Amino acid sequence: MTSVDEYRGNLRYAVDIVLCIDVTESMAPVLETVKKSALTFHERLSMVMRQKGKEISRLRLKVIAFRDFGDFAEDAIEETDFLVFPDQADEFDGFVRRLRPSGGGDEPESGLEALALAIDAPWERGLDRRRHVIVMFTDASAHPLRSPQAVSAHTYPQHLPQDMDGLFEQWGYAKSQTAVMENSAKRLVIFAPDAFPWTDITEEWNMTLHFPSTAGHGLEELELDEIIDTIANSL
Amino acid sequence: MRSGDVIRGYRIVSEPTNSGGGRCVWAFAERDRRRYFIKRFLDPKRPKSGSAASVRLRLQACEEFERRHQAIMARLRPDAVGGGNLVLAFDFFHDGASYYKVTERIDAVRTPQPRSLTPGEKAVLLRTLAFSLGLLHSIDMVHGDLKPGNVLIVKKRQGAFYTAKLIDFDDAYMSGRPPASEDIAGDLVYGAPEWRRYVQGDEEMRPEWLTTRADIFALGLLAHHYLTGTLPGFGDRFGSPADAVNAGVALRVDDRLDEPMKRLLGAMTARSPGARPGIATFLQTLKNPAVCELRSRYATSPGSRVRISVRTKENQP
Repeated sequence: MTSVDEYRGNLRYAVDIVLCIDVTESMAPVLETVKKSALTFHERLSMVMRQKGKEISRLRLKVIAFRDFGDFAEDAIEETDFLVFPDQADEFDGFVRRLRPSGGGDEPESGLEALALAIDAPWERGLDRRRHVIVMFTDASAHPLRSPQAVSAHTYPQHLPQDMDGLFEQWGYAKSQTAVMENSAKRLVIFAPDAFPWTDITEEWNMTLHFPSTAGHGLEELELDEIIDTIANSL
Repeated sequence: MRSGDVIRGYRIVSEPTNSGGGRCVWAFAERDRRRYFIKRFLDPKRPKSGSAASVRLRLQACEEFERRHQAIMARLRPDAVGGGNLVLAFDFFHDGASYYKVTERIDAVRTPQPRSLTPGEKAVLLRTLAFSLGLLHSIDMVHGDLKPGNVLIVKKRQGAFYTAKLIDFDDAYMSGRPPASEDIAGDLVYGAPEWRRYVQGDEEMRPEWLTTRADIFALGLLAHHYLTGTLPGFGDRFGSPADAVNAGVALRVDDRLDEPMKRLLGAMTARSPGARPGIATFLQTLKNPAVCELRSRYATSPGSRVRISVRTKENQP
């Protein structure tokens, strides 16, 4: 063993969380609950971590609010950068408070595009250990990636994968050469109905949890606690 | 996995949850009127589609996963002495793309407050825990994630002793052969000094130093926790006991503990794995339940009814 002179400092843990929030009209009954959960997330996570005698060295949150590219291109995606907590908490709060349910058109929404953007986010690569969590809140199924109507929207992010197989490869698995996410760090938590593509993703993608929802019923307190517990217990 | 589903004959009878579960979702289940605990692993997943290269890589990961679990199941037998306090798998299989493991269902109780237990009760609790860990160590296996959440406290009936059942060997590894630093499990609080250096990517740290003695460090912290209700002191500037130890700062063991116990816990939490005693020494020390006594910080003068508060390091302002 080396001498104590080579002590490298306390173990540093980075936690990045991307909240993908469906803000279409049908989410109106539950959006306030989701927003409240987002706004209190940091404090609740910090409290649970303190109770466990643990500390997150660097916590960042990012929000991707989505509707439907095929319905209205201009507001199909609204997103923040990764915001560092607690320093940029005001910016996060301001963005979340401004979210309003509107639009969406037909029932499938652009949830897969939001998920693809989340996977491709600039996740923390430094510090000693990392936890990268994507949380998807939606009450709807999703259009297939790159549906013709969506791709024709001038705001459509053209760099997204060609199809579900491509997205799966970006999500990755152990020893994957194509993954953009770190296999041991990542988690995907889905609050969505039993519908395409959420059921298939839960079945076939690793590190994925699904809490089925039905239209008009939202995120229960217990389930938010589960996300927090998932993070706190895995550090 | 949903409540009401039947998976390989196991009927799921509670809402599945990830609470405390790390890389799995778990629920209670029933089959043939017996009660079980079932967990669905989040990783790996058996491939259903994809390119040939992708399918091959994922199948390799699945085969490694199956081999590791079946090896653990084959080497840990419930009929071994003390094996009754290891919560072992009855069944391990895949259904669809997911892997499942089934164990007996344990009805655990809340961890009792140290002041509510006699020294003898504490000794039994710690010895049952150490017996289980000793079984793992006897086959050269490191639990790797020893912490209160992975110890179930059981009391079979009123008046019975509390005993400890050790759970969750899913992240266990062979002594000296840990998983890669980004994959190794472990807890921020209970992790050993060498585990932290390994996770931090310390180039001087060699994987073979991660041995069963990493569990001994965690057991020392757990024993302190069960005996006193708290962890040993490690100062505000450190994130955990291991951080303090790595910086050359000894942990502050509660001075109400008996001298042999203080020495034992001090040795178990030494920086060097080689300086930590094995399970046999721990069990030997606990043969005398008196070592589990927690002395009061108040000394009472013989023949007097006046209680005198003695100032100690812990109760000074």
